[in-house]
Amino acid sequence: MKTRWIAIGLMFVFLAGIGSFARILVAQEQRDRIQEIVDKGSYLTSLVALHPIADLNEQRRSFFLRTLTQYVSPEGLVYCFVHDRKGNLLLSLAPEGLSARIPQEIEMKSLLASELTKQDFAIRNAKDLYYEFAKPVFEEGQKRGVVRLGLHVPPLSFFSSQRVSLIAVLAFFILAAGTFVYYGVARALLPIKGVSCELQGNQSASQRLPDPGKSSGIGAIIENLEQSFDQIKAKLTQTEMQNLELATKLGVLTFEKNVIARTIDSLGFGIIITDIQDNINHANAYLLNLLKQERKEVVDRPLAEVLGHEEILAFISRQESLENKSSTNHLETTISEFSQEDTFRVSASYLRDVEGGVIGKMISIKNITSERSAEKSQHGFIANVAHEFLTPLTTIKSYNEMLMEDEIEDKEMQREFYNTISEETSRLSRLIQNLLNLAKIEMGSLSLNTGLVKTDWLVQDSLATIESPAQKKEIILEKDLPDNFPSLVGDKELLKTALINILGNAVKYSPKETTIRFSLHEDDEMVTFEVKDQGHGIGKEDLPHIFDKFYRSKDQNVAEQTGSGLGLAMTAVIIHLHGGEIEVESEPGEGSRFIIRIPKEEYHLEKH
Amino acid sequence: MVIDDEAHIRRVIALKLQKRGYEVMMASNGEEGLEMIKRQEPNVVITDIMMPKLDGKTLCEKTNDLKRDRPFLTIVITCRVSPNEQIWIEDMRDAVFMEKPFSPTRLVDCVDQYFGTES
Repeated sequence: MKTRWIAIGLMFVFLAGIGSFARILVAQEQRDRIQEIVDKGSYLTSLVALHPIADLNEQRRSFFLRTLTQYVSPEGLVYCFVHDRKGNLLLSLAPEGLSARIPQEIEMKSLLASELTKQDFAIRNAKDLYYEFAKPVFEEGQKRGVVRLGLHVPPLSFFSSQRVSLIAVLAFFILAAGTFVYYGVARALLPIKGVSCELQGNQSASQRLPDPGKSSGIGAIIENLEQSFDQIKAKLTQTEMQNLELATKLGVLTFEKNVIARTIDSLGFGIIITDIQDNINHANAYLLNLLKQERKEVVDRPLAEVLGHEEILAFISRQESLENKSSTNHLETTISEFSQEDTFRVSASYLRDVEGGVIGKMISIKNITSERSAEKSQHGFIANVAHEFLTPLTTIKSYNEMLMEDEIEDKEMQREFYNTISEETSRLSRLIQNLLNLAKIEMGSLSLNTGLVKTDWLVQDSLATIESPAQKKEIILEKDLPDNFPSLVGDKELLKTALINILGNAVKYSPKETTIRFSLHEDDEMVTFEVKDQGHGIGKEDLPHIFDKFYRSKDQNVAEQTGSGLGLAMTAVIIHLHGGEIEVESEPGEGSRFIIRIPKEEYHLEKH
Repeated sequence: MVIDDEAHIRRVIALKLQKRGYEVMMASNGEEGLEMIKRQEPNVVITDIMMPKLDGKTLCEKTNDLKRDRPFLTIVITCRVSPNEQIWIEDMRDAVFMEKPFSPTRLVDCVDQYFGTES
């Protein structure tokens, strides 16, 4: 319905347009004709004015008038008057009764004209417009008279055939064009209609849409489009909301990723995460530190480029083929780019998503230098201990064998052999004792077997043990002992072990022909044992560590000797258990001085 | 040639060997031992592993090349701690090992055997 009203409206507009166009045409033509008349009038009047009046006798007059009328179209010329100077009519050519109807003022103005003038007037009760041209006639410099010429523009017929036909053709063309355009647009919009139908087709059936087959008019198309736009808008809003949701989720995921990244950054070993193509996705802080690079320099670069270590890369590729067996495989190697001496453990594994598909690899690199060295030192310790055990055993066994096979005839030598066996047996038992104590300490179950300890016995026994080795090295044992030996409360055997360790060290680390001085003092509360030697001394770097378990100095003089690194550690623990103190003074090359102070009273060790 | 830092062991081995009629040289550490091997060119070298200055294993490796021109037997006395520790001996020329504690008689028998096959 709407379209029909629009069509009618358009029709009116169209007609109005045609009408105004016609009017414009008419007006234009009118103007043209007026202009023509005016031009002709001026010309003719001037022409006539040039003609001497006297010439206007009978024959001349008719000729003149004939020419005049020929020149001007019959419709145009209305009248022609020639007046003399006084205003008397000399010549007159006018339709009957017309001169009477010319307004007086027009005539007067013309008569008084001194040059070419033009006036227009309308006669009462007529629509015609008249133009009067007047010009004075001069002869021999004198004004002789006035020429008055009257022309008029005939009314224009609105509906001249020419105009009508022109308008008709124009109207036809416009209508044709209009129709053309209309249907052309309709045709062009057809695809849009198709699209809009598609769009609507995607929506649920609950959304009503006009039957597409009903009309293909532009109106229907536009309606369709409207609906489609509405639906698109709705979709857009929905998408925006989804966007917002996704942005939030992304925010959460990013946060979680950052948490994870920070977690793996805090690990004490390096981690690289790569994608399937071996491009690095992430490297944690530890690794970046090893590589001495920034994260942005490393991310998205191929693994082989960043970690150009052939052995590692080969290992990782080997892992790929072993992956299914899920064996824990490690590669231990040195990585010269990181450090010359350190050993690293490298392991690689696949990262999988929820369904089990491979999404990348994770490679971890751990500096195991300290682990290795700890292992080594433990291993070294065990080797040492084994040696310490087996050596005296060997001596005992071989000496015994020789004695048993009666291979030693010399009685002196025999006694010597027996002595040696005895000594070595003691040595062995001491070692066993030390190790057992160490084990007890490790397990926290070392307890004192307290009793009254007579220091004279303690001293004698301890010194006796080292006498023989001291003799071999021709070391002199100096003793500074009191007359009255104090007694103290403690574990006899442990104290003996403690003293022997110190004394033994003194002998071991002193060169030949030196002196070891042993002294014993007491005061009200403490008993002080002192062992001073002239041995190699203890270096500044070693001094803080000598009581550490398994610690052995790297100093040549020390490393040369076999030792477990336990002696002093043991001594320190024992002294501590007795509530005592142990002190060391030493200068390399000048010997060492060990001072042990033990309280006389029993000391209750608090359980921590 | 007996190389051991433990005097008692040196003594007992030397004694045993001398009783069997062998000439015995002694050294108390690997460095000394190596020097003497180069100079004196013994037929048999009996050495401990754990010694100061130069240990028995390095000594063996260093003297391995000497054996090409002048072969001699090396008996390495070991305290066996772990299984693969002694594997290196198999790469050495004319070398055997003996575990502590060992019987000196057995040791000397081994030396006898070496000389027996040689002559």
